[in-house]
Amino acid sequence: MSTDAFVTFSAEVTGFTEFDLHGTGQARSYYDTVVKVVGRQNLDDLLHRYFDEVTELLDEQKRAKQLDESVFDDPRLGAVAKNVIKLWYSGTWFDLSPEWTATYGIPGTEGTFTASPQAYAQGLLWFAVGTSPPGARAPGYGSWADPPRIPELPASPVPRSLQR
Amino acid sequence: MTQLDTRLPAQIRTLSDLHAYLDAALRLEHATIPPYLTALYSLHPGANSDAQHVIRVVVVEEMLHLTLVANVMNAVGLTVDLTPDDFVPNYPAHLPSGEVDFLVDVQPFSFRAVTTFLNIERPAKAPSEEARLLPCPDLGAGTVLAASPLDPSVRYYSIGEFYEEIDRGLRYLDAQFRLEGRELFVGNASHQVTPEYFYSGGGEALAVVDLNTALRALTVIAEQGEGMGGGIYDGEGELSHYYRFEQIQLARYYQKGDIPGRPSGPRLDVDFDAVYPVAVNAELADYPPGSPVLEAAQRFNQTYHDFLVFLTEAYNGRPDLLLEAVPWMFRLRDDINQLIRNPHPTREGVNASPVYERVPIDRGETS
Repeated sequence: MSTDAFVTFSAEVTGFTEFDLHGTGQARSYYDTVVKVVGRQNLDDLLHRYFDEVTELLDEQKRAKQLDESVFDDPRLGAVAKNVIKLWYSGTWFDLSPEWTATYGIPGTEGTFTASPQAYAQGLLWFAVGTSPPGARAPGYGSWADPPRIPELPASPVPRSLQR
Repeated sequence: MTQLDTRLPAQIRTLSDLHAYLDAALRLEHATIPPYLTALYSLHPGANSDAQHVIRVVVVEEMLHLTLVANVMNAVGLTVDLTPDDFVPNYPAHLPSGEVDFLVDVQPFSFRAVTTFLNIERPAKAPSEEARLLPCPDLGAGTVLAASPLDPSVRYYSIGEFYEEIDRGLRYLDAQFRLEGRELFVGNASHQVTPEYFYSGGGEALAVVDLNTALRALTVIAEQGEGMGGGIYDGEGELSHYYRFEQIQLARYYQKGDIPGRPSGPRLDVDFDAVYPVAVNAELADYPPGSPVLEAAQRFNQTYHDFLVFLTEAYNGRPDLLLEAVPWMFRLRDDINQLIRNPHPTREGVNASPVYERVPIDRGETS
């Protein structure tokens, strides 16, 4: 599946909008990172599971429950999905567990690594707390005297491209 | 009469003439900022660090020029206003100095964009006194302002000649006022933007209190832009804007002792492909209703306009507000970056672009 599908899924699981995610400039890099580590098949399976079993549900509670059952509780796909969230928030891909690796194999890169030179500065965690990453994306002299600018949460967990 | 007056005739004969010219200068300095910023942030992060550095230095100096023009206006007791509905040009735009042979687009970084930047900053001295002012044809749509603020039928040979006119006007008026026993520089000194309010911004913010300091402020503007008397460096030994940009096209840095057009320094590597293909001269109407890109572009446009309102207040007696302008500019940077990295909602292979559109001053009616 495409980068757009990856971004749509990522929007739902990170709580940020697709616009925000594209705005980090990291969508392509993270997509490539996931493919490189777990292989295209595992990522495609994850996204298909999400689009086939979750996206039709409009009720927020049912949707969240189904997301858990279809994706996060799945031993193979769940570990990848959680890593995708951590990747967006920190810019870091965290090594998968030895059990996961032993069971499903790893086609690509092993270990924990930063996805791109810009990934740290574009981590969602900085946006989530309304601040800038230490040592990057300078906010301007004296700006630390101002309260953080915490972005509004999207009104709905349903990503914009799936609405209507 | 002093020797200075032999440089007359000046077009500027009254304080109101001077006001018109300084207002045009303010618009001129601002008009370059949206195109430079957009090209700057269209560069992929991590690539083109040389080009990024070159454009950044220039845009920061343009902000200094805006401030220096404001200081001259304040020094002679005029009001600085960055809020008129037509203050932000309607891109593609002709420069407010009146050059008619090129248009300025808000566009991604490219060889063509740098060519426009070179046109903006070209070191053009009129070949003769008669050639300073040229007939100005009807430019039709895209025109920002009349070339000569006093006479729409004429234009200046270059930005340098435009500032030369302000230089002459100031000398003339100062002499004239003295003859009449009046003082031209009656502005409130506390309105001056001095270095303690102007954070690390492309040179020193000179306080303008008399003719000498006013002429020095204009000299800094002209030399940083176009070089000094045909040289490539300004009075401070800094490379002028024209030659900074030319380094990008010639893919080589200038070094001391070089002559124009022949930089002999280290190679300057440029990757014209490592650029987000942002939409050219984007307008809010280009984005579909309800799209997140439209919302973000509207928000940016409003924030940019609010920023000009804020600067107007800072330039009219609250220079301390400029300290807050710095974090504000970084937020504008982040907002531009966010737009530029998003795909255009209706155009394949094109990215979204910030919109710098005229916002009516009564903002209750805009969304």
